[in-house]
Amino acid sequence: MLLSIEPDGPVPIYQQIRDRIVEAIAAGELPAGSGLPATRQLAVDLGINFHTVSKAYDLLRQEGLLRIGRKSGAAVRRDAASGPPGPGWEQDWAGRLRTLLAEATAQGLPADDIVRHCQAALAGFAAPAAGAGTSATAGARS
Amino acid sequence: MTPGAVAGDVFVPLFGALMCAAPAVTRPTLQFGVRVPTAHIGAAVIRQERRAYFWRSAAVAVCCAALAIIFSGSGSRWLPRGILLLEVAADMGCVWLARRKIIAVKTTEGWFAGLRQTVVADTSWRTQPQPFPVRWLIPAISVIATTFLIGVTRYPQLPAHLASGLATLGGRGVPRSPASAFAPVIAQLYVTAVWTGLLVLIHRSRPDIDAADPAASLRRYRRLLNGCTRAVLTLLALLDLTFLLAALQLWQLYHLHGGSSLLPLLPAAAGLSILIAVGLRAGRARSHAAGGGQPPGQITAVGRDDDRLWKAGLVYINRTDPAVMVTTRIGVGWTFNLGNPVAWLIIGMIIAPVAGLTVIRIAAGL
Repeated sequence: MLLSIEPDGPVPIYQQIRDRIVEAIAAGELPAGSGLPATRQLAVDLGINFHTVSKAYDLLRQEGLLRIGRKSGAAVRRDAASGPPGPGWEQDWAGRLRTLLAEATAQGLPADDIVRHCQAALAGFAAPAAGAGTSATAGARS
Repeated sequence: MTPGAVAGDVFVPLFGALMCAAPAVTRPTLQFGVRVPTAHIGAAVIRQERRAYFWRSAAVAVCCAALAIIFSGSGSRWLPRGILLLEVAADMGCVWLARRKIIAVKTTEGWFAGLRQTVVADTSWRTQPQPFPVRWLIPAISVIATTFLIGVTRYPQLPAHLASGLATLGGRGVPRSPASAFAPVIAQLYVTAVWTGLLVLIHRSRPDIDAADPAASLRRYRRLLNGCTRAVLTLLALLDLTFLLAALQLWQLYHLHGGSSLLPLLPAAAGLSILIAVGLRAGRARSHAAGGGQPPGQITAVGRDDDRLWKAGLVYINRTDPAVMVTTRIGVGWTFNLGNPVAWLIIGMIIAPVAGLTVIRIAAGL
């Protein structure tokens, strides 16, 4: 998986890392069981502090998308094929979605365009990702 | 011929030629250590500075080579090395001139204004790491073991004074001792251990990924790393062979006179030639693939404009970057992040044995 961040962008780096990993899971690039680099290794590759990567991984762990073992390292815990999300998750997500849609509406984007963007994003996740399933299942130590 | 004379006769013109060729094997988006967006790699100032740099560095190479030839008969140990240092300084000056002019235009025209500056990592680089080619170490280890065994066999028959420190490599007679007799083996162990350690570090360092074309640039980096690692391990084996041939002379198993005394240097020269050829080939492949052939208008991301972290385009100092080694910006290779204390520790560990040995030799009057 190619993980791209903007170090000088307005979004915090840990949030960017978290977002890119979530997108890769949704697109099938990181199926359940895929290993992720150790926090120190990913920090070296991105040229950032390892605490930043650690924060992103911790966020993903709290969201139930990642499992972090002392010896097995960080690995993807669930993906689209893992069944429905846990209780209460959908309500939380709907709240965040409402804010996101409110932003588009407040900026004057027509409802049709908003729906079109949503459909395009979903179609992108549904399409088989190049190289999906090729990620190593061996977890890296974090 | 002394190592100093060899430095003058071989390394001065060789270094000059490599510095002339350096821009041709550098990524187009990193001209003279200056980060350049893909849309500006054909800028007029870059073309002009590349031409000017070529002629300046060629003039430096010719002048220094002429100086080396003129003073080759002086017999001085330090003069050829001084000429080499002068050449290095002059070439750094040429790079600095070109760099300064490109940065001036880049800043004035705002080349990075409005562009998305990104850093890209490939998670598979860590989850599916490139294996270190351990088997390629076998020739070097075999040569060291052979040298050691011959040394152990010959040691009791050696005279009280040995002809020199490293046989063909010059020096005066020294009393026989395990340290003086096994100096070539110690040199083999030192060189092999240092370079193998550095190669392992390089394998663990971050890959050189071009944000405009991440997948293809990573493939090229894998090829470059594979090629350079194998070439360095080959060089190590051949360098150890040079030390073995020198040791055989030290242990009085054969004698060479006149020009033939340079024959033991041939394996090392062959290894160096292989390394240069592999580096130039990989560098050429990289320099011809800017943006993956995509039209500049379709490239949405560019690498981070981090020129301020590269002093003179050559020295990387970034305290916030946990990397110990990074790829160089000029030519093909790797360098230390001098903002990382671990890098200083490693540099100290590499220099300490040589510095200690030099101090002991000076103190002993050798």
